Amino acid sequence: MTDISRRQFLKYTGVSTLGAMATTLSLEDVARAASASPLPLGTPILVIVTLYGGNDGLNTVVPYQDPAYATLRPGLSLTEAQVLPLGQGLALNGSMTGMKALWDKNQLGIVLGVGYPQPNHSHFSSMAIWQTASPSSPISSGWIGRWLDTQSRDPLRAVGVGSVLTPLLAGARRSGSMLPFGGMVVPTGALGADVHQLAASSAADVPLTKEAAIAMFNMFQVASTVEPVLAGVRATSTNPLTNQLALVAGLIAAGVPTRVHAVSIAGFDTHANELTAQTSLIGGVSDAVSGFLAQVNTTPRANDVVVLVYSEFGRRPIANASNGTDHGTAGPVFVAGNRVAGGFYGEQPSLSALVGGDLAVTSDFRDVYASLLADVLSSDPASVIPGWTTKLNLIAAG
Amino acid sequence: MATARDRLVISRLVHRFTFGPKPGQFQRLLRGGVAHAPTALLRSPVHDPGLRGLREPSLSDLGPFPAAGSPTRAQFVRSLNQQADDLVLWWLDRMVLSDYPITERMTWFWHGHWATAIAKVRYPLAMKIQNETMRTYGLGNFADLSRAMVVDGALVYWLDGQLNVRSAPNENLGREFMELFTLGVGNYSEDDVKAAARGFTGYQVVRSSGTVSFQPARHDFSEITLLKTTSQFTAPVLSDYVVSLDANARFIAERLWYRFVSSISPAPASLATSFASRQVAPLVHAVATHPGLGDPANALVKSPVEWFVAVCRALSITPSKLPVSLGLINYLYQLGQAPFDPPNVGGWPADEAWLTTASAQARLAFAQNLVRHANLGPVHHAKGDRVHAMADWLGVATWSVRTTKALRAASSDAARMTVVAICAPEYVVSV
Repeated sequence: MTDISRRQFLKYTGVSTLGAMATTLSLEDVARAASASPLPLGTPILVIVTLYGGNDGLNTVVPYQDPAYATLRPGLSLTEAQVLPLGQGLALNGSMTGMKALWDKNQLGIVLGVGYPQPNHSHFSSMAIWQTASPSSPISSGWIGRWLDTQSRDPLRAVGVGSVLTPLLAGARRSGSMLPFGGMVVPTGALGADVHQLAASSAADVPLTKEAAIAMFNMFQVASTVEPVLAGVRATSTNPLTNQLALVAGLIAAGVPTRVHAVSIAGFDTHANELTAQTSLIGGVSDAVSGFLAQVNTTPRANDVVVLVYSEFGRRPIANASNGTDHGTAGPVFVAGNRVAGGFYGEQPSLSALVGGDLAVTSDFRDVYASLLADVLSSDPASVIPGWTTKLNLIAAG
Repeated sequence: MATARDRLVISRLVHRFTFGPKPGQFQRLLRGGVAHAPTALLRSPVHDPGLRGLREPSLSDLGPFPAAGSPTRAQFVRSLNQQADDLVLWWLDRMVLSDYPITERMTWFWHGHWATAIAKVRYPLAMKIQNETMRTYGLGNFADLSRAMVVDGALVYWLDGQLNVRSAPNENLGREFMELFTLGVGNYSEDDVKAAARGFTGYQVVRSSGTVSFQPARHDFSEITLLKTTSQFTAPVLSDYVVSLDANARFIAERLWYRFVSSISPAPASLATSFASRQVAPLVHAVATHPGLGDPANALVKSPVEWFVAVCRALSITPSKLPVSLGLINYLYQLGQAPFDPPNVGGWPADEAWLTTASAQARLAFAQNLVRHANLGPVHHAKGDRVHAMADWLGVATWSVRTTKALRAASSDAARMTVVAICAPEYVVSV
């Protein structure tokens, strides 16, 4: 929900954030902190890509051989010449050449028809359900935040790009950190000492003042570790996701002790004139993810990284009169990486058995999360999603 | 001598119902007493001396976008951006300079409520018209506000209302109208969303001027069953009907409680009765005088704009007079909140979302730059202890031991001490 601010971050990169009294950390400070706790090689890393707005699954993984597809959305359907066939009558949007290459290398898992029981059509409610992994009752902690609650405290264990905390990373007891794109400069000298004092805890703290103090405390640690990486990454692409993932690739290469990275892109709420816009957006996602994995493949952590791509819902199979689509239900989820067991998971929802005009949900997103929790984050899924006992096997054994 | 609880309540009133005290105002409110403070702060007389001399932004109808590749396009976009910056600075100036900021505070609240982003609308003139509508009706009757908003050019365009036609309705405006603007989730069905979309069909927007026209040929005049009532609807009729439902009173009372008192503790059910007439001012008064405002558990984080405006009011900074090179608007984007550009139709988040490592760093850098343009007289000329004077100047109820130590360490340097104070947890949070 805070995606525009993240995008704006990138847009305004390069503007100096240096005040008169601010000075940079010394090289010795940086070297000491960066070498203190590098992530051991071979430790799995999860990168979560959130598509805000509700991506149109049917124009992403396209049932192009089903005649009902073109019938339901004339003017909005992709022809055989505009798609990249995968088999089983399904194809990727023709703009997704990067992900098609991953598919051909057996490094792309596509989970079909993903959602949850009694689908919610509200952006905010549905995204909250995905981010908290709690369809039945609203809760305030995100699923990665609850995973953080089970880990020892380290502000770098899960990080997002941007300034506003993504609900994904909010735990009941601890939260992930957010990184600005343009580099992090913290005060030193006398003011630095003052701010260290402000970051101390106080007996008078209420939960929010305690959080404010912790954010300042973590700022120093995060800055000292990531500043050398952040300083070297600049927004070179017009694709905001490419820029964010370039930053993540830099952090991974530098060995920061981060197990979960969260990035996002907005704009998928295509109620109108969808064809060009969605094709361009999802093509941008495909380029960014495949480019990121190619970058990671040049490092010793090539086999450690798994990428998850999801959105809060798919869209209606039937187009509206604005050549767009309204909020729908099930959609595909992508899981990519060298260790991913490529292929389809679950069943493509039938276009001839719509439920109230929407696609039926054939896979539950919690089975995807459980796979990632167990086989990437080496945790018991039930410790994060209480009572959940089933999972997919998206990650190849060994 | 005000009690600790009086200081807490008055601090919350002045920071949450206005945008923080101007120099000397907090002490005056303390002397006036906690019982008088809501009356003093909720006044909105027609004449506001603080706004004397404020210039209107020079916004004009720039017409349609020149075609891509056209030689005039770059200049056109520059003009749009210039008008947008002027508009943002004009509104920030109003928030900072007003002597009766409840009007601006409510305009700000409604902007987050009917969250419309210039990122999509693009035309500052249309955004300004919407902003004036929210100012006009912000403390008036919610039915009037809602009726104006459903035919507001910026809002209709933002939610694809101009594409919503009888032959195939677009649900965007109809859904968000009930979910986010008037009723809240759980108070309508998916069938009601489809029905509301039909009721809102037929409105066309000229984006550059923000004007909306009704096109009967595109409107669905058939009988529609919406929320258990079957009738013909147009946008204003639909708005009146939905606003008349009891769920609307509960929902708007909850939204005010959420932004002014607590994002965690539930709104007292009794507040909805203060909104029976849909008059906003009595509801605001009921929230401001509710005992919950004195509950220590009900802290709220100042959003970035609220923090910035409070700093400017105390430090006698006029936003539009800051040097362009300071990058004021860029800083607001770095902190995640710029006026007229909410992230989505749900508006901005609250509380913990603003307390990140990244925002702590951006706030410190911003604070250091702002203090260079501040009037630090109240610190320089403080009688007695500077740490206490700082609390009264900024309208802080009480400093923690931690912050007191940091302020004392910096107290020989007024600028540094001010940076510490405005970045302290007890200032970033409306404790």
